[in-house]
Amino acid sequence: MTISPPAQPPTPPTSAPTIADAELALVPGAEPVARSNWQLFRRRFLRHKLAVVAILILLVLIVACFGAGWLAPYPKNQTNLLITPGGPSAKHWFGTNPLGQDMLTQVMYGGQISLKIGLAVAFISTMVGVFVGALAGYYGGWIDQGLSRFTDLFLIVPELAILGVAIQRLGRTDNAFIIVLAGLGWMYIARVVRGQVLSVKEKEFIEAARAAGASSRRIIVRHILPNCIGPIMVNATLAIAAAVIAESTLTYLGLGLQPPDTSWGILLNQAESAVTSTSTFYLVLFPGLMLILTVLAVNFLGDGLRDAFDPRSEH
Amino acid sequence: MLIYILRRIVYSVPVLVVASFLVFWGVRTTYDPTAKYRASKDGARIVAQKRKELGLDRPVFTQWWTWFNRFLHGNLGVSDRTNDHVWKMLTRAMWPSLQLMFWGSVFALALAIGVGVYSAVKQYSIGDYAFTGISYVGIAMPTFLFGLLAIALLVTLPVTQFHLSEPIFFSVGLHSQGQSGLNLDYLRHLALPVLTLTVQSVAVWSRFQRASMLDVLNADYVRTARAKGVPQRTVIFRHAFRNALIPLVTVVALDSAFLIGGLVITEQIFSISGMGRLFLEALQFGDVPVLLAWFLVVAVFVIVFNLIADMLYGVLDPRIRVR
Amino acid sequence: MDEATPLLSVRGLTVDFPTDDGVVHAVDDLSFDVFPNETLGVVGESGSGKSVTSLAILGLLPKSARVSGEIRFRGESILGAKESELRALRGDRIAMIFQDALAALNPVLKVGDQVAEAIKVHHDLSKPQLEDRVVELFDLVGISQPRQRVKQYPHEFSGGMRQRAMIAMSIANEPDVLIADEPTTALDVTIQAQVLEVLERIQDRTRSAIMLITHDLGVVAGVADRIIVMYAGRRAEIGTVDEIFYESKHPYTKGLLASLPRVDRRVVNERLHRIEGQPPSLIFVPPGCPFHPRCPYAELNGRCDSERPPTITVGPGHFSVCHFAETLDERPTHQ
Repeated sequence: MTISPPAQPPTPPTSAPTIADAELALVPGAEPVARSNWQLFRRRFLRHKLAVVAILILLVLIVACFGAGWLAPYPKNQTNLLITPGGPSAKHWFGTNPLGQDMLTQVMYGGQISLKIGLAVAFISTMVGVFVGALAGYYGGWIDQGLSRFTDLFLIVPELAILGVAIQRLGRTDNAFIIVLAGLGWMYIARVVRGQVLSVKEKEFIEAARAAGASSRRIIVRHILPNCIGPIMVNATLAIAAAVIAESTLTYLGLGLQPPDTSWGILLNQAESAVTSTSTFYLVLFPGLMLILTVLAVNFLGDGLRDAFDPRSEH
Repeated sequence: MLIYILRRIVYSVPVLVVASFLVFWGVRTTYDPTAKYRASKDGARIVAQKRKELGLDRPVFTQWWTWFNRFLHGNLGVSDRTNDHVWKMLTRAMWPSLQLMFWGSVFALALAIGVGVYSAVKQYSIGDYAFTGISYVGIAMPTFLFGLLAIALLVTLPVTQFHLSEPIFFSVGLHSQGQSGLNLDYLRHLALPVLTLTVQSVAVWSRFQRASMLDVLNADYVRTARAKGVPQRTVIFRHAFRNALIPLVTVVALDSAFLIGGLVITEQIFSISGMGRLFLEALQFGDVPVLLAWFLVVAVFVIVFNLIADMLYGVLDPRIRVR
Repeated sequence: MDEATPLLSVRGLTVDFPTDDGVVHAVDDLSFDVFPNETLGVVGESGSGKSVTSLAILGLLPKSARVSGEIRFRGESILGAKESELRALRGDRIAMIFQDALAALNPVLKVGDQVAEAIKVHHDLSKPQLEDRVVELFDLVGISQPRQRVKQYPHEFSGGMRQRAMIAMSIANEPDVLIADEPTTALDVTIQAQVLEVLERIQDRTRSAIMLITHDLGVVAGVADRIIVMYAGRRAEIGTVDEIFYESKHPYTKGLLASLPRVDRRVVNERLHRIEGQPPSLIFVPPGCPFHPRCPYAELNGRCDSERPPTITVGPGHFSVCHFAETLDERPTHQ
């Protein structure tokens, strides 16, 4: 998805082995390889720790947001025009906005929609992407041709623009966001899965399964997909981040969700003028912080998964 | 090489045509330019008449064909919103956007390559770790949020903190009233939009450049150069650098559409009347002729950008040239 | 220089790589000499430490490597020497030919420029002088139409031509020691012979010492003067070609020789012998003699699996690292 940056892993080109690799890769039992020295080990360990922290942060966010009905200090959208809007205090941890709404409550309820969109988009686009990508990679031919021609169409136009038009058409609701973002996001996962399937397809064990008379469906489901699980999982997590960013961006621009719905994008849209004064800056800070925290946590999770699935990778 | 480029151009024509139909279908069916008449007295009759006038009663494909034909003849129609010629509006909006894109690309490439090469050569140094941390935040930072933070921290905060009469960096437009040309005023206006536009690209590209540089530094031919007694600096810049640029070119080309998406956000936040703002205004108003032309112009731009990348590829990599 | 004084002398070289899974003992207590104008064959399976040894000599091991021991070139210690000193040696006095010429040549630079660079970093020559020298070198290694060829890129060369260009690059400064790491492995058999022939011709001209690294005893048979056989990062046997081929005193060498197809074998139907088992992991090197799990002569529950075998002198300049080097021919085998 392009609305998040090409947040795709900065995958290096085909990796050339190191000097020591060349020698040691040939040594049975000496893999994985001399590149993995102490520093790398430490780095990798750090990465995993970050991934663990990321999971915890995500869990806290999910519980806080989806449990807002029980956990939020004030009712949703409750306005209190009697109090003067002010910054963080003991009563209002995240402060209050000009309508007198408690920002912590709003941020929690807002996260509900933002996270729901992120998770749903990741789930749907992964399902569709894996299905189409596996078919295209395994069967090739017109399915494959069709997939690449179709996805080529979407590479030449900014996705934010497509998303903008599509949301105006389908209605400015969270479900419309899920449909459109999944409709754009599956293509990326399909490409990744297709590539993986193409590379796994030629391996000996697939040949063996085929020779043993396994059906195509069985080969795809039992043999090929389990070998692609790493990239699929990594890209599913990245899809969460992309969807959360896409929703908040469009909503911020005033083209997405609208009150009385609330999302981090809406809170930021409402707070837009707050940046011109230092005393109201907190209105941008808290929803923005949640947004960055979510995306950071999801990205670290993706990193941890990548390392876990492919211990030789360096990213 | 020339044949290769020609082939690419020929290949991109059907993609453009199909894309333009899809965009036409999508945009046309989203907005109803006759909606404003519906509520009036005798609405049904007027709407039917208007639909006939505008050709909306015919199949979408026919409508598209008519529009496309006019487009090919250079007639982009008239804006529903301002009654201006669409072509004029586009050319007017193009100039600020091109400035942003140009300075943005130059800035982003220079910074990303510099940081990437440094981090690879000094792998695991403090600098490498610092850049890694910064790039993680950069990748996670939505463009619009960075824009807001930049205004809050780099425009508002210094003004209130140091009681300045005017901010160090400006957050509206590309020039102050009455100013033009390449001067300090321009730089003070340009700094934040360019930073906002490119922050994610710099983060992603520098990570990519680091990875590809590391890869190349471990390549056999770099070892050969060392075995010849070539000094480290020459090894890095003569042997590794150019090879490490080749994969980056592909990534940058693929990101050109993404940069235009960023342009929409950046121009909105910094009140720059370019292509991005034109798109938002057209989208909000349902200005179909402008939207249609906008999509096509952007698609052509992305294709051209990719073509340039392909040519650059050929310059950098002699193996491509023979094809 | 006196032919009996070693040009390059390696003593107790040990190279370890720490990895996530443990320390890889790539080279373990390796000693040998290279004399002027000789060709030393270094033979061993993949992972026996041949390439790591050559990189250690050039000081090109990755930073993660832990190196100890001593390497002397013309009596000067070069292991751990300053980078600037090493750089002056590399490509000038000690040069290297790499195995895979396609990967070892920079794809974006002209072949001629890459060869010229080898000269340029050590000698101050003008551009035309450089070009003439490169053309001369191309001619010497048998690249036809050298004037045109210098302006081409590696991908425009055939495999054999690329390897010749690699050789041209390595001999550009007429080095004292030429390390050739599997120079013919990636090539067709006919081209292999040509490349070896080029190497011999060069040696006659430059009087360089050549360290010919290979896994193939057949390659060194016709070219080398002496051979060092390596196993699991250690040396197994050193001797002249004749001593190794006809009077080997090490079970591993004998195994290698028996697995070599030879035209002078009398029994036509004899099946090729193979060494049982796998080469050892370099992280968990078997205790005692690393070859004992695969050795048909090994004494079970004896010295072979507990005591590191000493280096036994079985003749002048002929050494075998085996407990039973002297009595090997009389020992029964398990097979």
